[in-house]
Amino acid sequence: MSETKLRIRIYTVADFYEEENWLREEHQKGWKLTKMTPPCFYLFEKCEPEDVIYRLDYKNSTGTDDYMQMMQDYEWEYFAQCIGWLYFRKPASRITTENEGELFSDNASRIDMLQHVIRTRMLPLLIIFLCCVIPNTLKSFDNEFGTIFTIFWVIMFVIYALIFIHCGRKLWILKKDLE
Amino acid sequence: MNDKIRRIYVPMTETGFYILFCLQKPQHGYGIGQQVKQMTDGAVIISPGTMYGTLSKMEKDGLIRFHSSEDKRKLYEITTLGQEVLHLEINRIARLYKNSREELPHE
Repeated sequence: MSETKLRIRIYTVADFYEEENWLREEHQKGWKLTKMTPPCFYLFEKCEPEDVIYRLDYKNSTGTDDYMQMMQDYEWEYFAQCIGWLYFRKPASRITTENEGELFSDNASRIDMLQHVIRTRMLPLLIIFLCCVIPNTLKSFDNEFGTIFTIFWVIMFVIYALIFIHCGRKLWILKKDLE
Repeated sequence: MNDKIRRIYVPMTETGFYILFCLQKPQHGYGIGQQVKQMTDGAVIISPGTMYGTLSKMEKDGLIRFHSSEDKRKLYEITTLGQEVLHLEINRIARLYKNSREELPHE
C-alpha cells in the first residue's frame, strides 16, 4: 500500500482554475489526486514528481460514453468526479501546442460551460436563498423559537450571502472577460 | 433555413466551419480534430470540450445528424440544412478572399 495523504480545501463552483493549479502543484511535489469526496476532501497518493496538467469540466452528470471516449482519444485521463465536475489530467510532456493542454479551444465553448454552471448551480442556490433562507431568517426574529434559532438563521444568512456574492461575482467576471 | 439558424451560424467560427466542412463525409469528433490539424498544418487545434459541445449543438440545430457508432465513438454527417449553411459560408469567405486581394479603389 503506497503512502497517502488527505487534504481539506474549500473551492466553490467559481474557483476551478485555482483548483486546477493547486492539483498541478501537488503533482509536481510528488502527490497525485486519487479521490475527491464532496464537499472538500482530497485524497492524494505518493508518486514520482511530474508536471501534469489538471483540467475540470462541468457536466452536471457523469459523462456519456462518447464524451469519455473522446477525452481518452485526446489523451486526457479521467480519474475522479465530484458534484457535476469531472477531473482530467495529462502530462505536460504530451503537450506541444497550447490548445492540447486545454479542454476548450474557443471562447464560445468556455462561455457555454460557465453558463451551464450558472444555470444549474447558481440559480437553484438563489431560489433556496429567496424561498428558504430569507423567510426563515425573518421569521426567527419573531422570537417564538428563542435566540439560538435566530442566531442559527442569521449565520446561515451571512454564509449563504457571502458564498453567493463570491461565486456570482467571479463567474460574472470570468464570463465578461471572455465576451 | 430560418432566421435563428442564420443568426447563430452565419458567419461561423473557424472551429464550426472546419467541423461542418469535414462532416461532408461521416466522421467522429477525434477524427475531425486530426483532419483539421493536418489541413491547417497544426494551426487550428480543436480541444475535446469544444469539439463535443459544437457537435452536440449542431446536431440539436439539425446541421448534422448521427450516422453510426464505431466502438463508443459517434460518427456524424452533414444534413441538407448543414450543406446550405456551409455553402453560404463558403461564398462569404470566397468574397472576403477576393476583395482582400484587390486594391482599395481611389477616392
